[in-house]
Amino acid sequence: MTTQALDRPAPRKPIDWWRWAGRVFLTFLLIFTVLPMVWMVLTSIKSQFAALQYPPQWWPAEPTLQNYWRLLDPSNSVGQEFLRYFWNSFYVSLLTTVIGVVVAVPAAYAFSRFRFPGRTFLFFTVLLRNMFPAVVFLMPLFLLMRWLGLVNTHGSLILTYLTFGLPLSIWLLKGFYDNIPIQLEQAARIDGATRFQAFLYIVMPLSTPGIIATSIFSFIGAWNEYVYAYTFLSKQDSMTLPVGIQRFFTEFATDWPGLMAATFMMSVPVVVLFLVLQKYFVRALTEGAVKS
Amino acid sequence: MAEVVLKDVVKNYGAMFAVNNVSFTVADGEFVALVGPSGCGKTTTLNLIAGLIPMSGGDIHIGDRLVNDLDPKDRDIAMVFQNYALYPNKTVFNNLAFPLQMRKLPRAEIDKKVQSAAKVLDITHLLERKPRELSGGQQQRVALGRALVRDPRAFLMDEPLSNLDAKLRVQMRSELKRFHQDLHATVVYVTHDQLEAVTMADKMAVMNGGFLQQYDTPANVFANPINTFVASFVGSPAMSLIPLEVASNGTQTVLQSSEGWELPLSPINARKALAASTKKVVLGARHSTLKLAKSAVPGSVPGKVYTVEPTGDITFAQVFISGAVVNISLEPSVAIRPDEMVFVEFDQERIHLFDGETTMALTL
Ligand SMILES: Nc1ncnc2c1ncn2[C@@H]1O[C@H](COP(=O)(O)OP(=O)(O)O)[C@@H](O)[C@H]1O
Ligand SMILES: [Mg+2]
Repeated sequence: MTTQALDRPAPRKPIDWWRWAGRVFLTFLLIFTVLPMVWMVLTSIKSQFAALQYPPQWWPAEPTLQNYWRLLDPSNSVGQEFLRYFWNSFYVSLLTTVIGVVVAVPAAYAFSRFRFPGRTFLFFTVLLRNMFPAVVFLMPLFLLMRWLGLVNTHGSLILTYLTFGLPLSIWLLKGFYDNIPIQLEQAARIDGATRFQAFLYIVMPLSTPGIIATSIFSFIGAWNEYVYAYTFLSKQDSMTLPVGIQRFFTEFATDWPGLMAATFMMSVPVVVLFLVLQKYFVRALTEGAVKS
Repeated sequence: MAEVVLKDVVKNYGAMFAVNNVSFTVADGEFVALVGPSGCGKTTTLNLIAGLIPMSGGDIHIGDRLVNDLDPKDRDIAMVFQNYALYPNKTVFNNLAFPLQMRKLPRAEIDKKVQSAAKVLDITHLLERKPRELSGGQQQRVALGRALVRDPRAFLMDEPLSNLDAKLRVQMRSELKRFHQDLHATVVYVTHDQLEAVTMADKMAVMNGGFLQQYDTPANVFANPINTFVASFVGSPAMSLIPLEVASNGTQTVLQSSEGWELPLSPINARKALAASTKKVVLGARHSTLKLAKSAVPGSVPGKVYTVEPTGDITFAQVFISGAVVNISLEPSVAIRPDEMVFVEFDQERIHLFDGETTMALTL
């Protein structure tokens, strides 16, 4: 570059009103989503009495973690119950995620790479489920689960969540595999790999961001689901967190800090998951797979 | 290294025949260029040799083995892809090492072979980088290196230079040729650029529409193109082709234009022309065999100058003759202008005659 070009004063940019409007809108959105969460955390570290005061204490005068200790202490009944719900939710979500990946990866790969009779038809039937609101399937699925003898088991939830999560996972992963040039696999096969090894050593690592993104989606979907868990499970010791917390709500109607602490704990795994894996998540949604 | 033999190889996708009854033999150590316009079935042919797609019919031998049913990994070949197909998540070192790892070589040996291949290709300083951190030319070298680390029975290359800029392409062209000479490697090299084929290959296989048109040395293909397609594909500028009709003016056999003029043929050319299946004959001539005159001379035909392109040491003129565009090379000193009426003189010894109906070359 010549020095002349550097000396010239930069032209003044006109104010970009659209950009500013966007920023204002995003700020508003941020406040709207963050405020309730802040209030939740603040309330959870208040004492019973402080939580009910009016006018409210904006900042707790005597912050306490006692509500959390109570939930995490397996020696009292509240703690036992909470930990049980937590474990149930974790177990159901994890299994949903793992089975989802195990099914979605080969399915998406097949849709992307192979031409077989009925391919298009199958692909759209996979998406058919997503065209209807989830509750539409509540009764049919409940009858189906009863017929299968799965009512009141975690299996019924895992199956249900899979039918909801898999279409999205398959769709997303197929996009990934579509973006991975087929020549990479061909090169690997010529270099001495079998078809499966080519997939394992070359394609799989390239689709890791996609697999992680779909895992997060199915985990969160299962973790937050309420209606089906409420309908399918009636035994208290098999309930998942969303249903369990709702029970807390009715049982301990006045214990706002305890309730808020439980709600906060429920959001912890999701937040942690996002924080740890966000790098992959962003890559998955913005980059696709590899650019060739 | 080994020979590669294709016999009646067919690949069809439904009614679409991508490769149709192709047979040729690449001798051990030979460099064969598979050349033809885009979509003529070159890549498909190469993929069939590699075993990446199943054949619809025919046989392929590599060395003494019939490989029809062998997986790519068992065919013991190496391939360089048009887009290089470097593994994006592996370093250059691991890209080169992958074929050896797959063959379960001991670590020390892998290390030695990768280092020596890297040295040959002058990419030692790049071994720790990822492919996306390399320039196009460097990626090209790594792709070549991945083929070189083993000694396969044959190298298959699919337009390996087409993604490089013009200057680098010329440089890599001579390097590839050098590397073939040093290794006595059997190479099947796909390109759509006839110049690449002519300059590098021992033999060239010209394809069109899934069919093998001609398989011979570049010199022979250039001198005796078997049909009008090959004639117009090989050489730059291409051979000019003028559709005419054979007739007799009482004493002589002539080629007649719809514009009214006649070109008398020498006795040999007359016999060739009369062997055509119908009266239609295509007259072919390369730019360097034609002469331009400002006034009519015996054996010349009239034409109208279309464009004049000076290139420095040669000036190319395009002349309309009987509705066809004819390329002529001229001394730069010759002064002609577009739209000028000129006369073009044909050299009877060096013209080509093709059957207007079958497009095949007319020979005795
Ligand atoms: N998987 C496929 N399905 C259908 N047609 C194909 C397929 N692969 C290649 N073809 C067709 O076969 C012809 C030859 O293709 P290709 O060998 O790639 O040509 P090129 O000479 O440019 O390398 C093309 O017309 C192409 O459209
Ligand atoms: Mg091609």
